[in-house]
Amino acid sequence: MPSRLSARDFSIVIALVVIAAFFALRSPAFLGPRNLTMLVIELSITAVLALGMLLVIIPGEIDLSVGSGVGLLGGIASVLVFERQWPAPPAMAAVAIVGVLVWLAMGALIVKQRVPSFIITLGGLLVFKGLHWLVIRNATVPVAPGGTTNLFALLTTYYLPPAYGLVLVTAVVAALVIAQIRTRHRREALGVRVDEREMAQLKLLTVGQGMLLFVLVANRYRGLPLTAVILGTVAWAVTVLLRDTPFGRHLYAIGGNQEAAILSGIAVDRTVITAFGAMGAIVALTGLLQTAYAGSSTTTVGSLMELDAVAACVIGGTSLKGGRGTVLGVMFGALIMATLLNGMTLLAVSPELKFIARGVVLALAVWMDVRMGRT
Amino acid sequence: MSAPFFCATGIVKRFGGVVALDGVTFDLRAGEIHALCGENGAGKSTLIKVIGGVYAADTFEGVLSVDGAPARFRSVRDAERAGIAVVHQELALVDGMTVAENVFLGDEPRRGALVDWDRMFREASQLFAHFRIDVDVQAPISALGVGRKQLVEIVRALRRKSRVLVLDEPTAALADHEVTALLDILRDLRRSGVACVYISHKLDEVFAIADRITVLRDGRSVATLDAKATSVPEVIRHMVGREIREFFPRRPTAAGKALLRVEGLDVAADAKGPVVLHDVSFEVRAGEVVGIGGLMGAGRTELAMHLFGAWGHRRRGAVFVEGRPADARTPRAAMLAGMVLISEDRKRYGLVLDQSIAFNLSLSIVERFAPHLLIDEAQERRAVTPLFESLRIKARDLDTRARALSGGNQQKVVLGKGLILEPKVVLLDEPTRGIDVAAKVEVYELVNRLTEEGKAVVLISSELPELMGMSDRILVLHEGALTGAFERSSATPEKILAAAMGQGRSRAGDREAALAAALSETPSLHEN
Repeated sequence: MPSRLSARDFSIVIALVVIAAFFALRSPAFLGPRNLTMLVIELSITAVLALGMLLVIIPGEIDLSVGSGVGLLGGIASVLVFERQWPAPPAMAAVAIVGVLVWLAMGALIVKQRVPSFIITLGGLLVFKGLHWLVIRNATVPVAPGGTTNLFALLTTYYLPPAYGLVLVTAVVAALVIAQIRTRHRREALGVRVDEREMAQLKLLTVGQGMLLFVLVANRYRGLPLTAVILGTVAWAVTVLLRDTPFGRHLYAIGGNQEAAILSGIAVDRTVITAFGAMGAIVALTGLLQTAYAGSSTTTVGSLMELDAVAACVIGGTSLKGGRGTVLGVMFGALIMATLLNGMTLLAVSPELKFIARGVVLALAVWMDVRMGRT
Repeated sequence: MSAPFFCATGIVKRFGGVVALDGVTFDLRAGEIHALCGENGAGKSTLIKVIGGVYAADTFEGVLSVDGAPARFRSVRDAERAGIAVVHQELALVDGMTVAENVFLGDEPRRGALVDWDRMFREASQLFAHFRIDVDVQAPISALGVGRKQLVEIVRALRRKSRVLVLDEPTAALADHEVTALLDILRDLRRSGVACVYISHKLDEVFAIADRITVLRDGRSVATLDAKATSVPEVIRHMVGREIREFFPRRPTAAGKALLRVEGLDVAADAKGPVVLHDVSFEVRAGEVVGIGGLMGAGRTELAMHLFGAWGHRRRGAVFVEGRPADARTPRAAMLAGMVLISEDRKRYGLVLDQSIAFNLSLSIVERFAPHLLIDEAQERRAVTPLFESLRIKARDLDTRARALSGGNQQKVVLGKGLILEPKVVLLDEPTRGIDVAAKVEVYELVNRLTEEGKAVVLISSELPELMGMSDRILVLHEGALTGAFERSSATPEKILAAAMGQGRSRAGDREAALAAALSETPSLHEN
């Protein structure tokens, strides 16, 4: 999949810069190490979920149940750890298994019974929300027994020591550069069309610089958050999955033209169900992250996260009809949503206005996409 | 012959840097059928969009005039007011609505603010009765076949008493008897003074009906010919700028052992439905092209889709490839058994348009390039590059998106996507529909190559000249049953049509005679 930078990629970057500049001017604390660290943790949670959503939207489906799923699975883990005194790792593993199984079942319903995913997952949204409240009995269930900590809580509270973070990020950036150069040489030798050299360098420079800059800033607070490392890992995994595996190709083919995919011998049903299974794993991971970030499972954890995830995909250029969407785009989309929310919270904007602003940005982004898509 | 009342003079239309029309001059006389011929990309569709007001008057150069006065259409509405109605290639009907609603869409008869349903249905019935088309105007449009939908579309265009009717490939989806009905309607219209612009790839139709023929090539009008004074080869020469001597260059090869054997298939659409294919048996040998003819709805596409595991519920019968059972339930299983299907609607069934040529070519076998989970791009390129070159796909490189290709080149990608599987049996369903003459010849050459390599080819075609020109044997389906089998040497259009109409059945007789008559005045391509 040759990925090219287009005008619309720039429009996202420009929109991001404008939004960030606005908040920085209104509140100097916005660019402070503490706030930027919090912003990246929030971004990571939204982005991980959005990357799962990408896997489902590319084949032309949608998942509205993920917000409730995040609440439910985080709630189950909290109850297991806090009330049943399970150690964190088996509780987290159990939740991951439950997530995968439930989402596989939803995928099977959608594909085999031919019920639109919009309906099945809308049902899921309500059912999971009810189950979540049942599981925690409308109470507040902490992620770790009082005064102690565990792996669950550490998901969003552990920071890599400054030196480690610096080494890790430098290594990752170096690996990216080397991988890019090697891929480029190989592709040129094969005659595969590659990005303009300047474009490729610009893209890498932006991402690499951003990462390095962030770790330097984060080190002035507590260091590189573990959550960011998790996001990096998930982003890398989804990139490889979509770009370099037959599974990824099949997802794009199904979303691009389902009938052609069937006649090309692709096991469409199995592929879509697998995508939902992966979504389940990501919902479990996001559930753990979001609940850990909140410190405890409450009835509001995960609420409306499905909309942020869809918004991040759409802002990032993913087509809701399927067949089009990239990891980098979704990351920028998530960054815009997270920045907006974080900045408004910092400025103590009222919840009413927050909703309105997020809705307007989403509509604006899609409008711009449509406008540019036409030219 | 009356003087022209509609003229387009020196039309130039640019899209950015691309010149789609580069000086087209074209005129129409009352009561004539004026055919517009040209290869894909010659500018036919752009020209009718100019004529029909799709492109506003100030977006192109040149002059349109009606009755000697310059006409500046700012919209389709303007053109319609001037009496110009265009029936585009893609049907624009709303599936959930009735026939009558579609005919009156956007211009419903009203009583006050409400739709006057009684009047709508009455007027719609009158319209169809006037054109002698038997359609229930209260039936949902989705219940109609493609051919009837096309007729509804034409009636809708004619409702406004247009002086100019523009038809863009009206017969692409029609079976022969529907084409005959359509041509009759056009002859009626001609008598009543309507001028018709008729665009078609099928030159036999053009010669059957047109009074004049204008040929477009590379955005220019290269010739306007009197249909009676010209010939198919002359028109083709103008279209391609060179002469294609052998239009159907079939080189028969010695047939080998049977590769595909079909025994007594009874197939229904689903477990409960009635049987659609009745007791179908045939075999295809290595190096042989077996053509399958029949009218639209005779079950040809269903047969191909069923063999390929993509359609239907089998009640009885068996399929063998190279003597081994090949009862495929999924396309994947059919591919493993050694079959590929090139389907009739490449945009719908063949290609992922937003993806690259390489992506599409390797789609069916991309797992083979991923021995360790990850796709090895080098392997993939090595596999698809020879196809890209041998099929002579005209594109900058393998990373060009399928959407950017012309119809003929898209079809080559679809063919390549099947051939990469190295099949034993190739099922071709209307492989040349809607592609230009030069690309057609390339497809025919490819069929020759396949049989020379010892593959078995099944060729489904609605175009008799193609069917007769390219097949070694011809089978004819009628209402799901085989009603005829002819050797290449003994096949005649009359025999094939008779079989396609179901020999000896009621009311087939006179239609058959009519068709044979219609055909005899039609110079068929492969005789030239």
